[in-house]
Amino acid sequence: MPQFFLNKRLIILLVSIIILVALIGFSIRERDELSWAEKFVKDTTGFAQSLVATPTQYVIGIFENMKDLQNTYEENKELKKHLEDMARLEAKVYSLEKENAELAEILEIEGSIGDYDPMQATVISRSPDRLWHEMIIVNKGSSHGVEKNMAVMTARGLIGKVKSTTPFTSTIQLLSALDPTNRISAALQGDKKLFGTIEGYDKENEWLLLKGLPVDAEIEPDQMVVTSGLGGVFPGDVPVGKVVEVVPDQFGLNQTAYIKPEADFYNIEHVMILTRGMAIPEQIENDEENEGEDL
Amino acid sequence: MKRYLIPLLLIFLFIFEGLFTQLFPADLFNGDYIFVPRFLIISIFFLAIYGSVKHGIIYGFLFGLVFDMVYTEVIGIYLFLFPLATYLFITIMKVIQTNIVLVSFVSLLSIAFLEGSVYFMNLLIHITDLDFTSFSEIRLVPTLILNLIFIIIAAYPFKRQFEKFAEELRND
Repeated sequence: MPQFFLNKRLIILLVSIIILVALIGFSIRERDELSWAEKFVKDTTGFAQSLVATPTQYVIGIFENMKDLQNTYEENKELKKHLEDMARLEAKVYSLEKENAELAEILEIEGSIGDYDPMQATVISRSPDRLWHEMIIVNKGSSHGVEKNMAVMTARGLIGKVKSTTPFTSTIQLLSALDPTNRISAALQGDKKLFGTIEGYDKENEWLLLKGLPVDAEIEPDQMVVTSGLGGVFPGDVPVGKVVEVVPDQFGLNQTAYIKPEADFYNIEHVMILTRGMAIPEQIENDEENEGEDL
Repeated sequence: MKRYLIPLLLIFLFIFEGLFTQLFPADLFNGDYIFVPRFLIISIFFLAIYGSVKHGIIYGFLFGLVFDMVYTEVIGIYLFLFPLATYLFITIMKVIQTNIVLVSFVSLLSIAFLEGSVYFMNLLIHITDLDFTSFSEIRLVPTLILNLIFIIIAAYPFKRQFEKFAEELRND
């Protein structure tokens, strides 16, 4: 028995396994904020990463511009066609927006859940540990006003949410992460709005899963899916993707829709972090808590 | 200046891994395969065998911790596995002769061990529920191919650099 305890290597191994379990337990629980040590390390590496990333992206930009030049003629023809439509559309949008504002004023509605302020950010790094951790790191942090759980999109659609922030960087978890706790409240646009939650990712087809849709709902392919704005932090009406296929779920109580995401999860350079325009009614939450205490 | 060369090289490789993942054309082969750069741990293996074992394990420990904090946000997995993989690598190398081809082969084997252990740990803490066959098809094999290419390019320069470092250590 004493020999067992004298075995130095075994002791080191045992102690490190205990530390390992403790550290993993510490870091995978739901945390509101990172510890100061993590923030310091992430900010320092973030600074070094942006030092390297900025010139590299500049050089790559030059090459991409050259590649774009090759099909300028074709694109130009196509764009001219769109331009005529654009002018008409722009006039229509302007008059609709004005009308909407006037009507809202009459009804005394302040803001809608669809309102948001976009904040530009540039990707400085991506986690190499892909498949397990689909994360990107961007150059805007809590000192710029980024908060945990904010929605993140590219020009084409939603890509994920803010997982954690440090003063100068923030980490974004993409929708393509296999993490089962990655859930987003979404709605199907149609005559009648249908709500469900986006949870899970089909790696093979690169589809998102929209679960919890009512079993009797008629859902057609190509219907648009947007965020619902009911989760509290996300703004509403951010495009997510289009329905590809609908299947009944395991027990036949709900339907699951497969969604082809609008955004590309691979080549992300610039992202927009969305700050919800309409404030979350904290007052009501507090009232409810007080009532609970009274009871 | 020479004293800081190795930490600087490792820090550069650490940042380069993130940049490589960001810039690598991921839609290559339809985006079906995931290529994970493991350049940092390769250089740590070479440092341990041609430089000094002690330095190799300490750097493995340090960079494992930073890797966990920055790239995964789950502290512990790489902190534990980087030194363990380095130790395993050294233990195997003690038995066979240190010839550059064998060193390259065993470091590739150790990367496979590292990838496999990371997979099992993630399975254990429910970060993933992928089965082993899909894992090896999507991630393990492409990763080994990518890192084999890196080893072929970098093995000789690494060897020379770390041997110089070992000589300096002896002179001190």
